[in-house]
Amino acid sequence: MKLMDTGERKHFELRLRKQYGVENPFEDLVLLAAGRGRVRATTKEALEVAKKLRRVQQAGVYIAKISKEDVILSIEGSQVLNGKITKSVLDLDEESAEKWMRAEVLEVRGKYEGKYVVGKCGDLYLGSGRITRDGKLYPQVAKWRRIPVE
Amino acid sequence: MSNLMMSGDFRECLSRIPDLDPELFLESCKRPLPEGFRINTIKSSEENVLKRLRQKGFVFEKIPWARYGYILRDGGELGKTLEHMAGLIYLQGPVSMAPVEVLDPKPGEIVLDLCAAPGSKSTQIAQLLENMGVLVANDVNHERIKALSSNLQRFGVINCVITLTDGRKYPRFARGFFDKVLIDVPCSSLGIISKNWGIAKSWSLGMVERLSRIQYQLLEAGFNCLKPGGVLVYSTCTLTVEENELVIDRLLKNYKNAKLEDIRLPSLKSRNGVVEWSGRRLNPDLEKAVRIMPYDNWAEGFFIAKIIKEVGGNEVNGYR
Ligand SMILES: C[S@@+](CC[C@H](N)C(=O)[O-])C[C@H]1O[C@@H](n2cnc3c(N)ncnc32)[C@H](O)[C@@H]1O
Repeated sequence: MKLMDTGERKHFELRLRKQYGVENPFEDLVLLAAGRGRVRATTKEALEVAKKLRRVQQAGVYIAKISKEDVILSIEGSQVLNGKITKSVLDLDEESAEKWMRAEVLEVRGKYEGKYVVGKCGDLYLGSGRITRDGKLYPQVAKWRRIPVE
Repeated sequence: MSNLMMSGDFRECLSRIPDLDPELFLESCKRPLPEGFRINTIKSSEENVLKRLRQKGFVFEKIPWARYGYILRDGGELGKTLEHMAGLIYLQGPVSMAPVEVLDPKPGEIVLDLCAAPGSKSTQIAQLLENMGVLVANDVNHERIKALSSNLQRFGVINCVITLTDGRKYPRFARGFFDKVLIDVPCSSLGIISKNWGIAKSWSLGMVERLSRIQYQLLEAGFNCLKPGGVLVYSTCTLTVEENELVIDRLLKNYKNAKLEDIRLPSLKSRNGVVEWSGRRLNPDLEKAVRIMPYDNWAEGFFIAKIIKEVGGNEVNGYR
């Protein structure tokens, strides 16, 4: 387990502000660099406890992947941030949310600034999806989190 | 279940389980277990999730002994819903929710789940901690740890640490460290035969003896990791005395500061732990433990004991 250094954390938070309009994203949480741009979040207390233990595999939850200049939020990442995401939110009805969770390609209308949006159905955030120039949306749902297709 | 499908040892073992009604037991082995689930209050409110499920046509009933727990009565496969995949619910047998209710973790506590994979009880502990305090979830099995890690992720547990080690080694670095400890040990699984009939076929007394030894070692390790004043819950999904009362009896003999406490689980049918078995007198406090037969609630069979580590007092009695 490796703590994200201050520079990396600043860069990450800056991206979050630009991409998703998030201010003060994680307050008291500790961010961990989990390799290949992946970020995990946990509490200070959990980190203190982890220091005492042996054979620690991981702590907290996986919240995002930083890919070049973009931040791709996991389902839990978007839920940790929930109320704070003010930009690039795509409201989904129940049917599109189901499609999102099957990682089906969706069509989007309207303009979005960046390459990524966050899917939201009611009060439920579902992580990031990638938008292409021709208005297609690819939900970035990990395979093991997808609703199985019959 | 036909006689052919049971090993000889297994038949012999059934006859040694106190108070077991063999007819009802075999009947329970044929019936499918009820499908239970918990609402994840870390991610959403109970009302919101119930509303979503009702809108999708699911019919369910509240479980009286487990907060946020429900039994599915109708409506289809919950495991294939958005609610499951997004981590708003967790599928778990209704009786399997009882041990954590007995442990009753409180926000701010540091809790160890020593044999945690795949994480049903860990996620339940996490939700009762309400993101305050720390859950430490350990298991020795590399493959099963992956499922544990996925389930804690899906459930959104931020305040958790996962370790991969033999639980028996835990006191080497975490002696007296935890407020609460859950020891949900590997066992012969007699209480969930209807899930897996192979259990009855591959049964052997040797296996029970082996398990009993490791169960005691894990229990002792867990007890040593408790702070004075801390609470430990020992649970199995099996019914043999060797894996349940005898394990606890040995701890009570070896540790004067280990005391059994009463267990209250509203509306869950159960019976007291046994205090005499096979001509042996066991610690009379063992009646405070609970045994749950699969046919008591037509659900999983379980054994649960709640142990307090008294403040002060001599740790080891000196005859192990
Ligand atoms: C009954 S299962 C636990 C179920 C889990 N508590 C739950 O609710 O999902 C028992 C677990 O104990 C683990 N185990 C077996 N020997 C162990 C040991 N020496 N140390 C730690 N875990 C062990 C097994 O890998 C298995 O995952």
